[in-house]
Amino acid sequence: MNAANGASAAGAPALPPPAPRLGLLGWLTTTNHKQIGILYMATTLGFFALSGLMALVIRADLAVPNHPLVGRQEYAELFTLHGTAMIFLVIAPFGLGMANYILPLQVGAPDMAYPRLNALSYWLFLLGGLVVMSGLLTRDGAAAAGWFAYAPLSTTGSPGTGMDLWCVGLLMTSASSIMTAINLIATTVLYRAPGMTMWRIPVFCWDMVVTSLIILMAFPPLAATLSLILIDRRLGGHVFDPTHGGSAVVYQHLFWFFGHPEVYVMVLPFFGMITEIIPVFSRKPVFGYTGFVLSTLAIAGLSMSVWAHHMFVTGAVDDPFFSAMSLLIAVPTGIKYVNWIGTMWRGAIVFPTAMLFAVGFLLNFLLGGVTGVMLAAPPIDFWTNNTYFVVAHMHYVLGGGSMFAAVAAVYYWFPKITGVMLRETWGRLQFWLMFVGFNATFWPMHLLGLWGMQRRIVTYPPLPGWQALNLVATAGAALLGVGVIVFLANIWVSLRRPVPAGADPWGGFTLEWTTTSPPPEFNYEAIPPIRSERPAFDMRHPEFAGGADGP
Amino acid sequence: MPDGAATVQAADIHHVWVVFLLTAMGVAVTVYVLIFWSIIKYRRRDDRLPPQFRHHTLAEAAFTALPLLIVAVLFAVSYRAEVRVDRLASDPPVRIRVTGFQWSWRFEYAGGGPTVTGTPDHPPVLMLPVGRPVRIDITSTDVDHTFFVPAFLFKRMAIPGFVSSFDLVVRRPGDYRGECAEFCGLDHAAMNFTVSAVPPQAFDEWLRRGRTAVR
Repeated sequence: MNAANGASAAGAPALPPPAPRLGLLGWLTTTNHKQIGILYMATTLGFFALSGLMALVIRADLAVPNHPLVGRQEYAELFTLHGTAMIFLVIAPFGLGMANYILPLQVGAPDMAYPRLNALSYWLFLLGGLVVMSGLLTRDGAAAAGWFAYAPLSTTGSPGTGMDLWCVGLLMTSASSIMTAINLIATTVLYRAPGMTMWRIPVFCWDMVVTSLIILMAFPPLAATLSLILIDRRLGGHVFDPTHGGSAVVYQHLFWFFGHPEVYVMVLPFFGMITEIIPVFSRKPVFGYTGFVLSTLAIAGLSMSVWAHHMFVTGAVDDPFFSAMSLLIAVPTGIKYVNWIGTMWRGAIVFPTAMLFAVGFLLNFLLGGVTGVMLAAPPIDFWTNNTYFVVAHMHYVLGGGSMFAAVAAVYYWFPKITGVMLRETWGRLQFWLMFVGFNATFWPMHLLGLWGMQRRIVTYPPLPGWQALNLVATAGAALLGVGVIVFLANIWVSLRRPVPAGADPWGGFTLEWTTTSPPPEFNYEAIPPIRSERPAFDMRHPEFAGGADGP
Repeated sequence: MPDGAATVQAADIHHVWVVFLLTAMGVAVTVYVLIFWSIIKYRRRDDRLPPQFRHHTLAEAAFTALPLLIVAVLFAVSYRAEVRVDRLASDPPVRIRVTGFQWSWRFEYAGGGPTVTGTPDHPPVLMLPVGRPVRIDITSTDVDHTFFVPAFLFKRMAIPGFVSSFDLVVRRPGDYRGECAEFCGLDHAAMNFTVSAVPPQAFDEWLRRGRTAVR
C-alpha cells in the first residue's frame, strides 16, 4: 500500500508514507507481521499499565508498618497477578511482539513464515491474558497462590474459580508462545534474503532464535504442569497430594524446569535489542559477534540444567550440582558485557534516549547479575531465599534489565514502526525519573532481605530499619510511576503531533533502515547486497563492506 | 546486619557471604569503571568514523577464562561451607520435630519432651540450649511453609509428605525472631515464632518441667 514511497529507501529521509489506516475489521483480521507486532506490543503495554498499578498498590500497602491498606486476600491476589502479568503477559510477549515486527525486516523476509499461525498466536495470547485477569470478576477473587503457584496451596489450598482461570489462561498463552517460537525459527531459517547467511543475521535475530529454542524446550513442561494442577483440582487427581501418594516436591521440580529457562526467555530478547542499539550509537560494529552468539547458545544449554537452585532450601535436591551449573551461567553472561563494552570502546558515542536506556540497562543488569551469582551459592541462599533480597535481585534483572531495554527498543524502533519520532526531551526526563525511581525502589530491598524481611507479607512489624527503607522503596515506586506516565504521554503527543522520522533517523546498520518508515506491506521493494550483519552501514561505507576492518 | 555469631552454622554461611560480597564488589566496580570510562572518553566529538574493529581474540579469551576462574574459586568456597552447614551429628542430644501448618508451628521435643503449638495470635516459642547440637526434623501437614530465623542466616522448607533434617548449634543466648518464608495462604505474615536460646542447665530444667507437665 505504501509501495510508491519505497523508492526513497537509500536516499535522504523522505516524508513518511501515509500510515496504513486499518479499520477495526482490518486489525481483527490482519495476518501481517507488522500489524500483529503492533497489536502484541500495545497489548503488553496495557497489561504493563495494569500490573504496574498493582505494584503501586502493593508499595502503598507496605509504606508503613502494621497499617495494611488492603485485605490479606486482596494482597495475595495483587502480588500473584502482578508477577503473573509481568512475566507471562508483559516481558516475554513484548520480546515476541518486537520480534514479530523487527525480525522479518532484519532478515529481509516479506512476512513471518506462517502468517495465519501468527495471528492465532496473538489472539490466543490476548484471550489467555484476559482469562487470567477475569478471575478478578469471580466471587472468590483471582488466583492468589503466587506466580509459581506451589502445590498443594494451588490445588487443595485454593478452592476459588480464579485459580482454574489462571491455569486455563496460562495454558492459552503457553500454546501461543510455542506457536510464535516455531514461527520465528522457521522465518529465520527459511525466509532470509539472498546473501543473508546465518552468520550475517543481526544479533537480535540470533537471540530470538535461541529464545524460541528455549520456549520449545520449556513451555511444553509448563503446559503439562498447568494441566496437572487442573487435574488435581477438578478431576480428582492426586499428583501433588502427599496424603494420597502424590508429591509436593515434584511440583517444584516441574514448575522450575520451566521457570528458570523462562528467565532467559525474558532476558535474551532484551540482550538482543541492546546489542542492536549500542553499536549504532557507538558507530561501530558489535564487538565479538561470534562470541556473542556462542555465549547465547551456552546460556540456552545451561539454562536447562539450573532449575533446582530455586529449591536449595527444600533439602530435597543435589545442591552442589545445581550450584555449579548456576555459577557457570555467569560466564557466558559476563561475556556479553565484554561485547557491549568492547563495542563502545574507542567508539564515537551519542546519547539519544534509546542509548541512555541502554546504558541504564548495563548499570542495572550488572547488579542483578552479581546478586544472581550470590544466590547460586546454597549457603547464601539459605539466608536470602524468599526474602526481599531475591525480590531485589529479580527486579534488577527483569525491571532494571529487561524493562529498561524494552524502553530503549521502543525509542529506537518507534520511528521505524510509526514513521514519527518520539520526543527526546521527554525521553531524557523519563530516563532520569525511571533510573532514580527504579534504584530507589529496589536497592533498599537488598538490605531488607538481609535483615530478614520475607516476601509476600501483607504487612510487617516496625523492626529497626524496616520502616525507613520501605518508605524509600514506596517513594521510589511513585517516581517510577511518574516516569511511566511521561512515557505514555510522550507516545500520545508524538503520535498526535508527528515529527516525521524518515527511513533512517539514526544512521542504522541493519536492513530495516533501508526501507520506508513504516515499511510497505511486504517490507522491501529491493534488497541491497548483504555482505555482513550490517548491510545498511555497508551501503554508506562500501570501503568497510563485508566486515573488513577498513581501508 | 546479622553477623553470623548466633549459631555455629551461621558463621560458615556468613563467611561465604563475605567472600561473595567482596568478589561481587570487585567485579562490579571494575565493570562500572570500564562502562563510565567508555561513555565519557569515547563520546562522539567529530564526524570521523571510529575504528571499525570487530573482535580481539586475546581479550575475549581472557575475559572468558577470568570469570571461569572466579566462579571456580567461589564454588569451592561455597561447597566447603555447605558441607559443614549440612553435616548431621551422629547422635544429637536434642531432637525436635517441627511441623508447619496453616498458620503456625508445632515443636515436639523427642524423648517424651513437651509439645509446643502456636496460633497466629499466640506465636510459639522454640526453646533451644546454647552450645549443644540440636537436630530438627521438619515437615508440614497442609501446604509448603518455610522455617526461617534471620539471625541464624538459615531457613528450611516444610513440605507436606516430606521430612528434611538439619542441625543447629546456638552460640549466643537470646531471643530470636522466627518467621514463615514461603507464602502459605491468608495468614502467612502472621506465622511467626520466637527462638529462645538459653544456657544448657536452664534448658534441662525447662525440659524436665515440660515432661512433668505432660505426665
